[in-house]
Amino acid sequence: MPDVTFLRPTSRTMPRAVATRAVNRAIPRAEAARAVNRTIPRAEATRSVGRTISRTEAARAEAARSVSRRHVLRSTLAGCALLPAAKGTASGAVFGAAPGPAAHGRGASAQAPIVLGVSAAFSGSSRGLGIELYRGASAYFEHVNQRGGVGGRRIDLKLYDDGYQPDPSVQNTRTLMLEDRVFLLFGYVGTPTVTRVLPLLKKFQDDNFYLFFPFTGAQPQREPPYGDFAFNLRASYRQETAGLVNNFVRSGRTRIAVFYQADAYGRSGWEGVKRALERHGYDLAGEATYRRGAQFTASMRSQVEILQQGDPQAVICVGSYNACAAFARDAVDLGLRAPMANLSFVGSENLLGRLTGLPDSGRYTSLLVNSQVVPSYHDSSIPAVQEYHDMMDRYDPQPPEQLVTEAYEPVSRSFVSLEGFLNAKLMVEILGRLGGNPQRVDLERAVFSVRDFDLGIGETVSFGPARRQGLQRVYYTKVEDDRFVTLEDDDWASLGATDASA
Amino acid sequence: MKVHKLFRKTLFGVLFLFFLILLSTSLLWYRTIDRQLSEEYETNSRNIAKTIADSSVDILLNRDLSALQSLIDQFAEIQSIDYIYITSETGEFLAHTFIPGIPEDIRGSDPNNMELVERQLRNTDGCSPGACLAGSFVEVGSPILAGVAGTVHVGMNTDHVSLKVQRAIGQQNYLISILVVVGFLSSIWFVNLAAKPLGDVLGYAVALARGDAEADAGAGRVLERDDEAGHLARLVGHLSRAPAAADGPERPGADGDPVQG
Repeated sequence: MPDVTFLRPTSRTMPRAVATRAVNRAIPRAEAARAVNRTIPRAEATRSVGRTISRTEAARAEAARSVSRRHVLRSTLAGCALLPAAKGTASGAVFGAAPGPAAHGRGASAQAPIVLGVSAAFSGSSRGLGIELYRGASAYFEHVNQRGGVGGRRIDLKLYDDGYQPDPSVQNTRTLMLEDRVFLLFGYVGTPTVTRVLPLLKKFQDDNFYLFFPFTGAQPQREPPYGDFAFNLRASYRQETAGLVNNFVRSGRTRIAVFYQADAYGRSGWEGVKRALERHGYDLAGEATYRRGAQFTASMRSQVEILQQGDPQAVICVGSYNACAAFARDAVDLGLRAPMANLSFVGSENLLGRLTGLPDSGRYTSLLVNSQVVPSYHDSSIPAVQEYHDMMDRYDPQPPEQLVTEAYEPVSRSFVSLEGFLNAKLMVEILGRLGGNPQRVDLERAVFSVRDFDLGIGETVSFGPARRQGLQRVYYTKVEDDRFVTLEDDDWASLGATDASA
Repeated sequence: MKVHKLFRKTLFGVLFLFFLILLSTSLLWYRTIDRQLSEEYETNSRNIAKTIADSSVDILLNRDLSALQSLIDQFAEIQSIDYIYITSETGEFLAHTFIPGIPEDIRGSDPNNMELVERQLRNTDGCSPGACLAGSFVEVGSPILAGVAGTVHVGMNTDHVSLKVQRAIGQQNYLISILVVVGFLSSIWFVNLAAKPLGDVLGYAVALARGDAEADAGAGRVLERDDEAGHLARLVGHLSRAPAAADGPERPGADGDPVQG
C-alpha cells in the first residue's frame, strides 16, 4: 500500500500518528460527519489523526485520494501505528480493524497491532487535558511497544479530536467503531462527550465495544443503564466533591458555593456537592455557571458577584482550567477571598500556569485547593511515579501535531499525564490477560480477572461485575512555590487563613 | 427629470397611493406573521417541554442529574429555545441552562405552573452585555409524570419572533420600495409623454401670438398629429386667423371644421 500511509521522520522514538488525509475524503460517511460538524464552530477541528504533517507529504496525500475505500481504511489503521514499527504494518493486517473474524472471532494475524480508538479534546480551550492525557499514555505504550508489545502485538492509538464537544465526539466514536473497527475505546475526555457516547456502546453491545478509563468522574458510565459498557480507573466526582465538602465542613467552613460549567460535567459536580452538603445538613450557599469553552480572558465578574451574595466560606469549582483560572482571578480581584477548590478534571498545572502568569500571582494561587485522583507526581518514592518520570524522560512524548493546530506548550509533568500513564499501564495489563489471540468478547472477563493488582501507587486495583471503577482514593493538594503539593489534614483549617480574616 | 406642473398633483397622488399600499400590506403582514410565528413558537416550545418531560421520567428515577442536564442541553441548542429548567415536585431546581445564574424572577415564580407565562428579564448588575439572559420571554411548562416528579419549563425570547417578523417585513418592504421607485419614475415618464404634445400646442400658440408661427419647429409636428393635441393646435391656428377672416365673406368652418382636421 504505497503512498497512502505517511510517516513523519523523527529523531525520537516517540509514537507519531501518521498522515492519512485521504481517509476522510475517500469515505462518504466521513464527509457527512464533517458536514454535521460544521454546525458547531469548534467541531471544525474534528479530523482524523491522519492530517498531513508536512508540505511534502501533502502532495502524496492528494494522490492518495483516489485510493479505494478498503485500501484507505486499512492504511488509516496501519498509519496510526506508533512510529518505530509502523512501516512494518503498513501493508499488514491490523488487529481489531478488519471486519468479521478479526473483530469478533479468531484468526487475526499474530503480528497485527491492537488499535485503541481515542476521541478527546486536542483543540479548544480544554485541549491541554486531551493532550496531556495522551502524552502520559503514549509514554507507557511506547515503552511496551519498544519491548515487543503485548503478546507480540504493538499497541496503536487511533486519535480523533472532538474539541470537548458532544456531537463531534459521537461522530468520532461512530467512525472508530464502524469504520476504523478499533479493538476498544480508550482515554476519552469529558463528561458531556462521554455521556453522549455511551448510548452508542449500548447500541453496538453485540460487538462488545467497551470504553476504557475515560477522563471523567461522572456517574453515567458508572451506573445503569450504561455502566456495563465502561471501565473506570479514577475516583468519581461524587467521591471528589464529597471529600472536599467533608474536609471543608470539618474545618468549620459550612457555607459552600459552587461555580460550575453549564453542562453535564458541571451538573455532575454540582449534584455531588449538594448531596454531600445535605448529608451534613447544609445547603448550597450559592451557585453560578459559565459557558463551556470559556477562555481565560473571559470575565467571570457576574459569577463572582452572584456567589458573593451568599457570603461563601469556600467555593468548589467544577470546570476546566481556563474558566476556573479566570474565576479565581476575578474572585480575588473582587474581594471573594475564600478557598477555591477544583476537581481533578480541571488540569491543575494548566490552571496554575494561567494564574502564575498574573502579577502578584500568590494572591490567587494561595487560595487554591485541588482534589486529585492520582498521587502527587512530585513524590518519587511512589514506584509508579518514578516509572512515570523515567518514561516521560526517555520517550519525551509530544502532542499529536496533526491534531494540535493551536499553540500549546506541553507541561513537563502533570497529574493529567500521570493519570494517562496509569491508564495505559492498566490497559496493557488487561490486554496481556487476553492471551495470544485477543478478542473483544473476552475483554470483560479479562477486566474482571484484575484483583488486587498493584499499579504501583500504593492502592490496589480490583474489578468485578459490581465494581467497574479501579481506584477509590482522592488526594488533596494546595499550591506552594508555584506547584501543587500534598495538602495534609491539618492544613484544611488554616487554608487561606490570612485571607479569610481579611 | 422635469415634472410638468399640470401633473404634479397626479404624481403625488400616485406616490401617496404607493405608500398607502406599502403601509397597509406591512401592517397586515406584521400581524399575520407575528401571530403565526408566535403560535408556532409556542407550539414548538410546548412540544419540546413535553418531550423533555416524557424523557426525563426514567432519568429522574434511575439516573443522576448529569444525564438530565445532557438531555436538556441538546434541546437548548434549538434556535428558538433560550432556556430550559427542570424543577422537582418541591420546586427545587434540578437542572437548568442559565448562565451565569438562575434569574431572580424565575427563582421566585411558581415552579408547578403549566400555563404560558410572559417574563421580562433584566441584566443583573455587573452583567456585561450579552452575558446574562435579558429581554422578553414566553415560558411554557410541562409536568413530569403528571407533576409528581417535577416540571419542565421551556422559555423562548419573543425578540426572536420580532426579529423574524422584522426580517420578513423588511424583505417585503424592500421589494415594494423598489416597485414604488420604478413605478414612480415610470409615472413621471408616462406623464411627460402625455404632456409633451400639450407643451408643443402651447409653444405653437405662443408663436402664433408672436406672429412667427412659421419659425416654430414644433408647430409642424403638432399640426400633423391626429389626436387631441393636433385638433387643439389646429383650432388655435384657426382661431388666430379668425379676426382676419371676419372681414371677408368666409365664416369659420366654411373650408371644413378645423377641429375635425
